[in-house]
Amino acid sequence: MNFIPLTLYALALVAYAWHFSRRDAAVGRSATTLLVAAALAHTFVIGMQTMEAGDVPVAGATSAISTFVWLLALAYLYTEMTTDERAMGVFILPLLVALQAIPAFKPNAVVRSAVLQGPLFGLHVSSLLFAYASFALACVIGITYVLLFKEIKAKHLGFFYARLPSLQVLDRMNQRAIVIGWIFLTVGLIVGGVWAAQARGYAAGDPRVQAMSLQDPKIFVAVLCWAVYSFELFAARRIGWGGRRAAYLSAVGFAIVMLNFVPISYFLTKSHNF
Amino acid sequence: MRLLLVGISHRTAPVELRERLDFQARGVEVALQALTARGSAREAAVLSTCNRAEVYVACDELGPARNDLVSFVSDFHGVDHATVAPHIYDLTDLEAARHLFRVAAGLDSLVVGEPQILGQVKDAHSLASDVQTVGPVLNRLFHSSFAAGKRVRNETGLGSGAVSVGYAAVALARKIFGDLKGRNVLVVGAGEMGKLTALHMKSQGVHRVTIVSRTMAHAARTAEAIGGATAAPWDEMDAALGASDVVITATGGAAPILSKARIEAVMRPRRNRPLFIIDIAMPRDVEAAAGEIEQVFLYNIDDLQTTVRENLARRSTEVARAEAIVGEEVDKFGAWLRARGAIPTVVALRQRFETIRRSELERLDFKLAALPPEARTRVDEITHLIVEKLLLMPTEQLKSLGDADTVGAYAEALTRLFGLAQQQADKEMEEAAETARRSGRASAGSGRPELVEGRVEPFSRSKSRGPR
Repeated sequence: MNFIPLTLYALALVAYAWHFSRRDAAVGRSATTLLVAAALAHTFVIGMQTMEAGDVPVAGATSAISTFVWLLALAYLYTEMTTDERAMGVFILPLLVALQAIPAFKPNAVVRSAVLQGPLFGLHVSSLLFAYASFALACVIGITYVLLFKEIKAKHLGFFYARLPSLQVLDRMNQRAIVIGWIFLTVGLIVGGVWAAQARGYAAGDPRVQAMSLQDPKIFVAVLCWAVYSFELFAARRIGWGGRRAAYLSAVGFAIVMLNFVPISYFLTKSHNF
Repeated sequence: MRLLLVGISHRTAPVELRERLDFQARGVEVALQALTARGSAREAAVLSTCNRAEVYVACDELGPARNDLVSFVSDFHGVDHATVAPHIYDLTDLEAARHLFRVAAGLDSLVVGEPQILGQVKDAHSLASDVQTVGPVLNRLFHSSFAAGKRVRNETGLGSGAVSVGYAAVALARKIFGDLKGRNVLVVGAGEMGKLTALHMKSQGVHRVTIVSRTMAHAARTAEAIGGATAAPWDEMDAALGASDVVITATGGAAPILSKARIEAVMRPRRNRPLFIIDIAMPRDVEAAAGEIEQVFLYNIDDLQTTVRENLARRSTEVARAEAIVGEEVDKFGAWLRARGAIPTVVALRQRFETIRRSELERLDFKLAALPPEARTRVDEITHLIVEKLLLMPTEQLKSLGDADTVGAYAEALTRLFGLAQQQADKEMEEAAETARRSGRASAGSGRPELVEGRVEPFSRSKSRGPR
């Protein structure tokens, strides 16, 4: 069932790329329409899975990825509508298509482990997914900032100069995305810690609950992410690391997020393999 | 009705002559009134900019109208006919329309794609509307030209990219800072170039413009010339640099005044706030290495000129697409104009049918007298519907005819077949009597078919396919 949103995301990607290269307003509108259709189809898929399982499908790594893609699509659409700026779509859509391919080709088991119960678990996962979606946007905005910055610095005003908003706007969007992401990341980590402490009480025998400590790669890298983004926020405010350095940091931060989200979840973690 | 354009432009006349033929000197309204008083044109509009003076008219006879317009241009401006005549061009009908569309699209401008001309064409139309010298033909012509201009601007890159150094600087500043409102501009040097660039920035609504110059009096004078700018002493330049977002350097000095080290020192307390330096001085005022500082964007006059050249080259590649759009709009306008040529015939034909219907109903009135009023109304409606149905197809066909000659031939045939000429003569006599009765009310268009009252309207009740 995840194939329908995947196809629509792929079509939207083509339309966004076409719009970006040709700057045709009508193509741009159809790109947005396709993405809205993809997000709606995805909402339907997630809704069906929720009804089937009785819970929002966020427990397994695969379902979490699907939900993350859905959140990122919504977050991007929100950004596009509020800023009236379509140029970023061509950078976001490849990420959506690549990640959505995982749930589409590797269907997930919808049975939720008995350990994972209570409102805290839901809050933990949804906060983190939201944080990751914000970081994805920040990363893409940062990349476009660097592309435009280089063109202006090199005095070669060409492709990106004609297509992207101003450096100042990109910088501000990047900062805002980082702030929102950092807040959700902080909440997600704290709630996760509290939940783990509770779980030790009612499911002490579960090896996964026992593995929940800083030594576990998933948890360690998540805390590392928090450190990176905290540094970025601090640096932007205290030592003037805005602009290009902030853009590079958001790319590095999101690379770590992706590392944690896909390979570590599937292969390395002992605590988060539900 | 024929369209005629008579004019001069930067392509045909030197600036001295264009200045003497500038309609704006005495007012376009005055010119329009003087022109319509001559009686050779039914509708008239004047487009007058610093690069062109063009008169557009709708008239009945091209030859006399053309001669009269040339005389008008020389008479109105008091310039000898022989001086004006060799520089004047004239275009008729769809070629006149194509010319106006190209003008509105910026294709005929000195700098191809410049945006002001569309506004000037709009002004020309609204001026003529104010003094009521435009009618259906010129209204349609000008509105089509707005559409052509807008489409070219939206669908091609003809107007994109700055093509003067001043605009290129503003465009770059906007790409770095987004909105320029609330930004501070510093001008180093009190010369003309710096002042001009500062004026460009000022028109973008910057917050403050500061001028520093080695001589405080010069700075003060330039600040006054810009209007709303402040002058600062030379030795406070570092403080002014720290507070500015855009710096324009344009001194005449031989040695660079802003070294990399000096700008680095200024940048430190600014943290990551970008600084855009436009060095338009020759020789340069800013050390080239200053451009390596992280948030400093340094452009000199050569860099700006390069971007201007690139933009001009890009515009020239868009010309063909713009011409194609103009061609489409000319075709649309041509179809409308041809359909319009059939209007008098259509009106006469419908009047003929309506007259027959009325007279037959009157003739049979005694037979219908016995019917109740509702039934008589029904009879009236039914007969009217029959007439409408009969006329629908011929009306549509006339409207969609290919060219003016064919329209003429069909009109001729219809006039003969239905005896429309006789009817027209009768009607004109009636109208003459009517006009005589309402003495004093000079009517420029009372005999014109569009104004016929009652149910007889040229294209009503028919599904129109073509543009109206």
